[in-house]
Amino acid sequence: MTSYNEKARCEYLVDVKAFLKKVSEAPGVSGFEYRTVAPIIQEFMAPLVDEIRTDALGNLIGFKRGEAGRRNPKVMLAGHMDEVGLIVTKIDDRGFLRFTDMGGVDPRILPGHEVVVHGKMPLRGIVGVKPPHVMTADEMSKTYKMEDLFIDVGLPAEKVRELVSVGDLVTYHRQFTELMGDLVAGKSFDDRAGVAVILVALEELRKYRYTADVYAVATTQEEAGLRGATVSSYGIFPDVAIAIDVCQGDTPGVPEWRTQSVGKGPALCVGGNIHPKVYEGLTKAAADLGISVQQEVAPGPTGTDAWAMQMAREGVATGLISIPLRYMHTSVETLSVGDIEKAGKILARFIASVDAGFVEGLTKWI
Amino acid sequence: MTEEMFQLIKGATEAFGPSGSEEPIREFIEARVKDYVDEVRTDALGNLICIKRGPADGKKVLLDAHMDEIGLIVTHIDDKGFLRFSNIGGVNPYIALGERVYFANGTTGVVGIEKIDDPKEVKLEKLFIDIGAKDKAEAESRVRVGDMAAFQRHAERMGSRIVSKAMDDRIGCVVVMETLRRTKSPRHTIYAVFAVQEEVGLRGARVAAFGIEPDVGIAVDVTRTGDTPKGITMDVCLGKGAAIKVKDSSLICHPGLRKYLERLAAERNIPYQLEVLEAGGTDSGAIQMTKAGVPAAVISVPCRYIHTPSEVVDENDVEACINLLVAAVESPLDF
Ligand SMILES: [Zn+2]
Ligand SMILES: [Zn+2]
Repeated sequence: MTSYNEKARCEYLVDVKAFLKKVSEAPGVSGFEYRTVAPIIQEFMAPLVDEIRTDALGNLIGFKRGEAGRRNPKVMLAGHMDEVGLIVTKIDDRGFLRFTDMGGVDPRILPGHEVVVHGKMPLRGIVGVKPPHVMTADEMSKTYKMEDLFIDVGLPAEKVRELVSVGDLVTYHRQFTELMGDLVAGKSFDDRAGVAVILVALEELRKYRYTADVYAVATTQEEAGLRGATVSSYGIFPDVAIAIDVCQGDTPGVPEWRTQSVGKGPALCVGGNIHPKVYEGLTKAAADLGISVQQEVAPGPTGTDAWAMQMAREGVATGLISIPLRYMHTSVETLSVGDIEKAGKILARFIASVDAGFVEGLTKWI
Repeated sequence: MTEEMFQLIKGATEAFGPSGSEEPIREFIEARVKDYVDEVRTDALGNLICIKRGPADGKKVLLDAHMDEIGLIVTHIDDKGFLRFSNIGGVNPYIALGERVYFANGTTGVVGIEKIDDPKEVKLEKLFIDIGAKDKAEAESRVRVGDMAAFQRHAERMGSRIVSKAMDDRIGCVVVMETLRRTKSPRHTIYAVFAVQEEVGLRGARVAAFGIEPDVGIAVDVTRTGDTPKGITMDVCLGKGAAIKVKDSSLICHPGLRKYLERLAAERNIPYQLEVLEAGGTDSGAIQMTKAGVPAAVISVPCRYIHTPSEVVDENDVEACINLLVAAVESPLDF
């Protein structure tokens, strides 16, 4: 880490760690982000933008006007604020809660987890399973399926029915932890780390003169099928849209070519989902700042908001910046705070380079 | 339930209309709602859109029920006059085997199977339709490649339950038709969409909503239940009232609108239950994604044995759904 980073961090309004701690511990399963997560983001984002609003699907849209130019390009930034979680499908006769997942949760990681059931009041619960002593040999050799699991909140059935209904949400009970170096671990960094990048970028933009109008969007329902980004990009219809999400960090047992190193800078994505000139612009911004980046290749769908935003109306030039993250969709997602700050700086410099000429170039292929 | 109401359900479920061939059911609905609405039109995909005007300061409320049903489509006619077919929507080969089916022109057929050694070999490609033709020429005089067939079953009452083919989603159509008839003073302008092609990917609702650009969307469709022997893990039961959807695989219902419907049901003493459906989608999934987004919800009719020729609903649940939908369009919808 260079002194450049140290100096930059001191003058920040946005304390990335403080934001990540507060926002990642808040419960916000897809479709229900508006309750607790959106207000936290709004509080951090409001001082950095000119206006802030929400739309029909709950997307939080900050607007920061550029200097008046010949034609102000519209740049949309998307980081999704939802997280994966569980939802109650049935309350059984003895008060155990049955559930299914919202977004991709691996049932094998759930047994033994502490969770919070968001009923009439938040209830602490644990995910239980049959103990090994009473399993048959056949059951022992199989992995857990969602329907084998249940949540125990420790109350009798009639009390559970008073406090919990079908459709109530369940999140991991997990506190933000600082590991060694600048690594942190917690739940829902996918993709509140992306929202953190947007905040850093908005902050960094103060250093530049630029004509782009910036739409900073904390999107909803990404894990349910890129739904928030689909409608917000239709509404905004930007000239350039950048998704900021997470990618697989280096992990034992996963081939190196499928991962990006945590702490070695954000990854810039190439592939059909990405407009080559947006990729070039981001690469140049990183080079100008002397920040090293990694390259991510997506031969098909990126599985991020960029995939939806590209298809808005008659088409949008998209880019994707990813923060390397280990143990995705678990409650111990791990990443480097430095990677977030670097991504924010690159993003701001790129936005400052987007002018009317750049936008005209996006549709010139021949 | 009145005999008149049962006859409406019987007529609606027995009408022909696999996805893309909805002409007969569209005519059936149009004839019965036109006196209760101000305007009726169809669009490029065949959606039937019925407009009932409310006061100018009201909202544009889209009510949706899909009129298509699952079915079979002829892909090949062999020299002996047997028809090979593919599925329209979710057709299980075990359920299709041995069924009697009919075509729009009234031709009846039965579904047979090649000789197999193991029940696991029951696949759609091993099945065929026999329409009683002696050869290809006779078969072709009645049915052509591309023609669709539906299950041939009649609606029957079983106590307070009603069984028929195509309850999915003709019962939703009946709920919306009755809502149009019973709503005397709508607070909003109602766009009732009887949608095509839901079973093949929510296609009708997608374009209808794009054209209408509603302020609010409410779909009525069937949902599964968890009350049958060793059934799925789900709280919804037949006979316990209208199911207000929380989520399915196509959408997470707008929480404000969903809670508003819950409050409305509680205030009016309309029995209701909450629904989390793990697998399956509804037209509201497409409606909510229209343009810059539309708040959308779903009122579901609990239904057993969905996508079989014997789909079962409870008449009290049907009444609860109608009462809730009428209450919704007569209320401010200020969620
Ligand atoms: Zn993500
Ligand atoms: Zn249906």
